[in-house]
Amino acid sequence: MSTLNVKVAEVEQITEVVKHFTLVQENGEPLPRFSGGSHVVVSMDINGRIHRNPYSLMGSTANTDSYHISVRKQENSRGGSKFMHEQVEPGTSLQITYPVNLFAISKVGRRHILIAGGIGITPFMSQISDLNRLGEDYELHYAYRSAEHAAFRTQLEEMCGDRVHFYVDSDGSRMDFRDLLSHQPLGTHVYICGPEPMVHALHHTAESLGWPDNHVHSEEFTAPPVGDEFTVELAQSGITVTVPGDMSMLEAMEEAGAEPPFLCRGGACGRCELEVVSCDGLLMHNDHYLSDHEKSEGKSIMPCVSRAKCSKLVVNL
Amino acid sequence: MERGYWIRSKPLYDSLVWRTKATGHMVIAEGEGGIAVLKLFQQMCPREPIKLLFADNKAASKQYADIIRSLVPEGLQVCESDEAVLSALKEQLPDCLMGTQFYVAGTEAFIWAVMDELRKYGVQDKNVEKELSGTLARPVYCVHCKNIDKDVHHSIHQCSGCGRHLFVRDHFSRRLGAYMGVMVDAEEPGNIPAAEEIYP
Repeated sequence: MSTLNVKVAEVEQITEVVKHFTLVQENGEPLPRFSGGSHVVVSMDINGRIHRNPYSLMGSTANTDSYHISVRKQENSRGGSKFMHEQVEPGTSLQITYPVNLFAISKVGRRHILIAGGIGITPFMSQISDLNRLGEDYELHYAYRSAEHAAFRTQLEEMCGDRVHFYVDSDGSRMDFRDLLSHQPLGTHVYICGPEPMVHALHHTAESLGWPDNHVHSEEFTAPPVGDEFTVELAQSGITVTVPGDMSMLEAMEEAGAEPPFLCRGGACGRCELEVVSCDGLLMHNDHYLSDHEKSEGKSIMPCVSRAKCSKLVVNL
Repeated sequence: MERGYWIRSKPLYDSLVWRTKATGHMVIAEGEGGIAVLKLFQQMCPREPIKLLFADNKAASKQYADIIRSLVPEGLQVCESDEAVLSALKEQLPDCLMGTQFYVAGTEAFIWAVMDELRKYGVQDKNVEKELSGTLARPVYCVHCKNIDKDVHHSIHQCSGCGRHLFVRDHFSRRLGAYMGVMVDAEEPGNIPAAEEIYP
């Protein structure tokens, strides 16, 4: 998978727990163009093990001199956000993938409702540059914990004017999804990026109101779930890999030198799908890609987030 | 036996069934689509408000407006023609909200004329239930003169725009709401196969 060699030009402390990193190409060339909502996957060497974390590109899509990502220091970090906060400083070299967009604004939408929770604001910031440029009708609803956690509030007020609405938890103001979605004209699309329960609640409300699935878009950057250790055999290459409890199957295979395909690393896009040859136990599907039927058939697995409770799983790779 | 060919763009139609999760429902039908409407109202009705736009095909032997009137308590608007149904639809769409479920029934040309209006409001093809009613007559787009003939029953059709004899293909354009018609004797002028009524 081709990657870009970048170095950190600047690090800015946005809030107590959020840092903003400016990335430029090592070779000084402009970076590839990207569309609003895109993300890149950053590779980090942490104590000899490679971690790969996706981060949304926040900058304007018109800017190809630098990429801008923001990282929230997670309490239960598997190491990625901790590394970014503690080990990365101006001058640090990083490897990133080319931008990928799994959270694009619909070209046939007449109105766009953007909903952000906490650090979930990041993908919307690049989308807003596109929405403003195209003169689209949109609203941004941004919920965050308290004034100290208001990342980018001033910038958003400047970019969006009265199209942005803030909801501060500590003031007691809450978003009412049912109210928000009940009075939208035909052709409205809703986009949400935030903590899992918030995304889940939005999907549920939209569905109950009769919004079709293709008008509801979400992006979640969750760490792959942990579990029991198990062994996976790659049938074609003959390699046998032990998947530790705190590593995803994809990460373990990469660690062993294999190069399985991947894209979102979050169980949403389908790129990493592997054919299951055999499993002497249970497949634990943690993805949002396979249908319930496909999951019960047990012929496929998404190694980026799914696991197995077994002694040996054989995949066709 | 010849198996014909499968083409991805050929639409497959539904049998109208109420959607359970909605903010409102809108049924748009004409002519033989009246039967589809009656089948719909034989199902237990949803709780949300229902709007129904219907026009009989005055030239047809069977008229459904009266039966529909007796079965549908409110929300019904009976129009004089399918064009009047489309005008009524145009008037109501600006006020429709997300969560409105759409159901269309009638000829293929009518279905896609309705879709044309819905698409302007950002409603996507796959989200609309469509029941083809009464006839397999096809709207055909002549790729040569760009004319569309709306009511074609035969495999070879003489274009009313340019006079060319067109082979009616299964390839369908959702944007145009019509099947592709290509000159059948382009390479051997005058060698025109017999037209068969395969879209009665």
